[in-house]
Amino acid sequence: MTQLLFKHINVEGLANIDVYEKHGGYETLKKALEQKPEEILETVKASGLRGRGGAGFPTGLKWSFLAKDVFPRYLVCNADESEPGTCKDRELLLKNPHLLIEGMILCAYACRVEIGYNYIRGEFYDLCEIFEKALEEAYERGYLGKNILRSEFNLDIHTHLGAGAYICGEESALLNSLEGMRGEPRLKPPFPAVEGLYGKPTVVNNVETLCAVVPVVEGGAEAYAALGTEKSKGTKLVSVSGHVRNPGNFEVVLGTPTSEIIEMAGGMREGRKLKAFIPGGSSVPMLPAGKVDTPYDYESLQAAGSMLGSGALIVMDDSANVVKETLRIASFYMHESCGKCTPCREGTRWLHQILGEIESGRGKDENIELLQDISDNMSFKCFCPLGDAAIAPVLSGIANFREDYEELLSQAKAGAAAE
Amino acid sequence: MPKKTQTETVTLTIDGKTVTVPKGTVAVDAAKTVGIDIPVFCYHEKLGPFGCCRMCLVEVEKMPKLATACTQAVGQDMVIKTDSPKAVKGRQGVLEFTLLNHPLDCPVCDKGGECPLQDNTFEHGPDLTRTEFTRYNRDKAVPLSPVVTIDRERCIACQRCTRYSDIVEQETALVMVNRGFQNRVQTFQDRPYDTRFSGNVVDICPVGALTNTTYRFKSRIWDLDNAETLCAHCGVNCNIVVGVRSNEFMRVQAKSGENSQANDAVDDGWICDKGRFGYGFVESSNRVLKCRNGKGDTLEANDALGQAATQLKKITDEHGPQSVGFIGSPYGTNEELYLYQKLFRQQLGTNNIDFKTYRQTPGLPVEHYDVGDIETSDMVLLIASDPTEEAPVLDLRIKKSVSFFDVKLAVLNDQKTDMDKPAASSLRYNVGSEAEVLSALIEALNDKPVRGLEKTAGIAPKQIKDLAATIQGSGKVCVIYNPAALTGSASDRILELLQTIGGLPDKQCGAIPVAPGTNAVGALDMGAHPNFYPGGLALSDSEKIKTLWGDEAPLQPGLSALEMIQKAASGELKGLVVFRANPVVDFPGGPTVAEALKKLDYLVVHDMLETETTQLANLVLASNGPGYDDGTTTNIGGRVQFRKRSLVREDHPPDWVLISRMIRALDPEAPSYKNSFGVTDEISQKVPGYEAINKNAIKGMGMPRKGSACSEVQGNGAPAAEKSENGALRLRVANYLFAHDKILDASSPLSHHFKSSTVYLNAEDAKALGIETGDEVKVVSGDAEVSAEAEVSDRCNPGAALVPRVSDEQGLMALVGDPDAAVWVQIKK
Repeated sequence: MTQLLFKHINVEGLANIDVYEKHGGYETLKKALEQKPEEILETVKASGLRGRGGAGFPTGLKWSFLAKDVFPRYLVCNADESEPGTCKDRELLLKNPHLLIEGMILCAYACRVEIGYNYIRGEFYDLCEIFEKALEEAYERGYLGKNILRSEFNLDIHTHLGAGAYICGEESALLNSLEGMRGEPRLKPPFPAVEGLYGKPTVVNNVETLCAVVPVVEGGAEAYAALGTEKSKGTKLVSVSGHVRNPGNFEVVLGTPTSEIIEMAGGMREGRKLKAFIPGGSSVPMLPAGKVDTPYDYESLQAAGSMLGSGALIVMDDSANVVKETLRIASFYMHESCGKCTPCREGTRWLHQILGEIESGRGKDENIELLQDISDNMSFKCFCPLGDAAIAPVLSGIANFREDYEELLSQAKAGAAAE
Repeated sequence: MPKKTQTETVTLTIDGKTVTVPKGTVAVDAAKTVGIDIPVFCYHEKLGPFGCCRMCLVEVEKMPKLATACTQAVGQDMVIKTDSPKAVKGRQGVLEFTLLNHPLDCPVCDKGGECPLQDNTFEHGPDLTRTEFTRYNRDKAVPLSPVVTIDRERCIACQRCTRYSDIVEQETALVMVNRGFQNRVQTFQDRPYDTRFSGNVVDICPVGALTNTTYRFKSRIWDLDNAETLCAHCGVNCNIVVGVRSNEFMRVQAKSGENSQANDAVDDGWICDKGRFGYGFVESSNRVLKCRNGKGDTLEANDALGQAATQLKKITDEHGPQSVGFIGSPYGTNEELYLYQKLFRQQLGTNNIDFKTYRQTPGLPVEHYDVGDIETSDMVLLIASDPTEEAPVLDLRIKKSVSFFDVKLAVLNDQKTDMDKPAASSLRYNVGSEAEVLSALIEALNDKPVRGLEKTAGIAPKQIKDLAATIQGSGKVCVIYNPAALTGSASDRILELLQTIGGLPDKQCGAIPVAPGTNAVGALDMGAHPNFYPGGLALSDSEKIKTLWGDEAPLQPGLSALEMIQKAASGELKGLVVFRANPVVDFPGGPTVAEALKKLDYLVVHDMLETETTQLANLVLASNGPGYDDGTTTNIGGRVQFRKRSLVREDHPPDWVLISRMIRALDPEAPSYKNSFGVTDEISQKVPGYEAINKNAIKGMGMPRKGSACSEVQGNGAPAAEKSENGALRLRVANYLFAHDKILDASSPLSHHFKSSTVYLNAEDAKALGIETGDEVKVVSGDAEVSAEAEVSDRCNPGAALVPRVSDEQGLMALVGDPDAAVWVQIKK
């Protein structure tokens, strides 16, 4: 089992810089500083590393989009991990903050950035303390600050605790929030690489992505690219939750069959069968049990009708009712819609109202069609992807588990007839 | 925010029509040019693209998703379809979402009939509702301020108002709070939304959420007669639309893209709250409705004006032409002031004609810039002017220019103002030292050494040199100054400065004088000046004067307004006409002015409101004033516009009729005019610079008149400011447009803007005097004193006491004597 990010994750006291260094920590940085920034950038490009936050955009390419010769420019680490089902960044921040710091320094060096921010989810205040302690240690050892390891490269990293909003995981809303403004997504273009934080070129990367930069640079592009499938390279942290025996985070090589990952988490509960799974967090379509052997990589999951997303594998066995689960998710999106655009603000609430009616036995046959039409009116018409995320479970649930809806609707009909 | 002029164009197709527009144009605006109306809510041309309401979804070929036409910049060969089934369904869906929790209370909504949501629903909306749930109930009729009320149920969260507050007024006073469907427009900590420009959000709200509190439920908009006219409060002359029902005033709106076309050369489509909510004077209980004599007997207008004319003529026959005079007003129209000067010069033979108490001569040594020129300048030099308080909409234009057009703002003032914030540099000189500072700046611009100014002016030579360097380094310089705030010889120095800047190599320079009053520029142009005929003709220009005004035209210099008061006190002036002015309260001297006026044999006061001065009159002529009378005014940018009447009075003639009848009473051969434009036509023949001004030329957006020639700049250098004796402080009076004056009487909805009497002291002086913030003090000069609360601040440099004029009752002008001389005051606890 190839472990890159989780190699030492269970080492006692890894958050301490001495322990981290003892396990090879900051060695990659030392070697990297002997190379030119462009060489690091090329390595990351060649490794095929893709963004682990959800969109899966090639990381090196994203870095290379930074507006040329515009300074200051910023690095922002997106540690606003709030996708339901996802808890991988949390574990990295909790147990291995120095890996993130080392990854941020490598990224900053490659992108010629001298100021970095770590935007940490509001609820992660304890992790923020851990991270800040790690920062202090890194400053003391000269990995941060002026003239890092006598390389003439400077970098300061600041932390910023969010105020508790899912939308701030969207990079432009995150930048607004970081600037002290309301957490609402910005108009794109301009993209952050051109006009980001304070209107300057900004690279925004997820915690796991930045952490993965360390093994990429450490082992070289070829070694990293040797892992995984043709287009999905390297390893991925998967947060397995739901009806499994041992939920948790697992590092897998991309392309591993989904069923194997479920087995890593202890498999299904006694006497229960797999009914459905959501492979990439609540924002991606759910899939039926029949597709459980789909290789866990960006392309295969997309071909199967879903997405890898943030790597949160939510497992539902035959005790689950898809309408109830969908209602639960709909409630989340209604609560988290920022309210900026009309279809998302109104649509997430309307979906929730109708799902609630169906779930509580007051549904009507035409409600299914209505749900689909509302979803269609939201689909690709919202300001940011949150609206599309909100309709994914609704549409996939109806497509794959229509019987769950119909059962509740026929109960409603029977109930109405009895009255 | 649209950037400055873009010359490159792109050609594309919208619904099969070929469109060529400047590069960077968004699809909504491009479509408009070929008559295709794409519905919007959140988009507003003055606020720039935002894309939150999603109403403007269109299909763009080769793009997988529908695009919002308000954010989509058009590209070469782009093919846009607004009417494809996909686009139509997209918009219908968005409209359904928008209406989902909207109360649909159009029958009782003020916006009904002029509501984009209503219009778009008719045009693009679904036929039937699919809402089966109780709509989300929210607070209705929540006052955001005394003049703006919000109905939260109607709000569609388009964020126009919050973006307006952020981008245009730059106060961020309105913000969105909460998330999702619970988001709402709110102020910080529920404080009142009491900016000077709050009312504009009512105009731009695309639904009936933000409403004008004074207009709520008063009328249906289709019952209104709308007059496109001008605001009559300050010199910007903003374009407004006055709604009237059955000859009863209902409301004021800005003339903007919402109801017509904004006049970008004047106000950019925004007005201040005094313009919007300060129109109550048209129905004030304090109005002068009938003419009357000194005993209080009501007179017919014709009898009254006849008496006035013959009585004034009688005085000149007995005591000579210098025994009568005219004090006009910067609030009169060009026609009114033109006719009055004509009466006094031609029929009464005197140049005793004036309208102000500060020194200013007609004409500028550089171009007279239009307000719109601010945006295209490289630098704005703001001297002794506080636009925020004096001509508020100018404040918006300056902030816009700085924020979006990279205009560099330099401030030179004796007081701290809101303009210091957007300013790139800000120099604060000692009160009364402006002539010295301007001289130093002129020297620096001429690359001469700058002498030490620290002690007298409170400014270091280096600061002056830096400012001069910025001016030298800027291509187009716009100088904005307040002539009324310049003391001593500074009124000459400012002209010398303009001449100097204009003479620099590769320099474009223009100026905007921002004096108090609606029509100060027009008043000067119309010859309301003892030494200048209309069009800035100096008395020495006798040939021209004789050609225009005949051989009898008086060439003897007249008396200024203040000299007239002095001569009234000494008994040399016997007859005086005061037109829409209140010298007893507004002129330096206060009560002594009243004493002087009482000595006159004959005082005619022609005004629309009862004032302290009408109480002294031997004859009161009722003036209809703005709202009831037509006429033109010339704004601070030199633009002549038509101020149309919105209301009709049938029982009393307009002022221009009244004055022309006075002329005819003395000269039956004098012309009579069919309407106010008849006078305008005569102005175009008699006033140099106004040749091209006529009814058609100024229709809609008005037209700049040609500035008159500038007389020779007087003198050279400036004496150092006078020194204080006995620890007295030099008084500086600041003017506030939102003051509690006769116009904004006690019943004004703007009373929340009225400030209490305050004296601002520098910490250094306050310490020496043992005065702290909040102390009740007396500001004393000679026998006169004014009560005020002390505020210790850095608003002005040490050595001065700054007192804003906050109300007529304050009695502030009693402290001031000769406005050219320094006024020294003691601050007593």
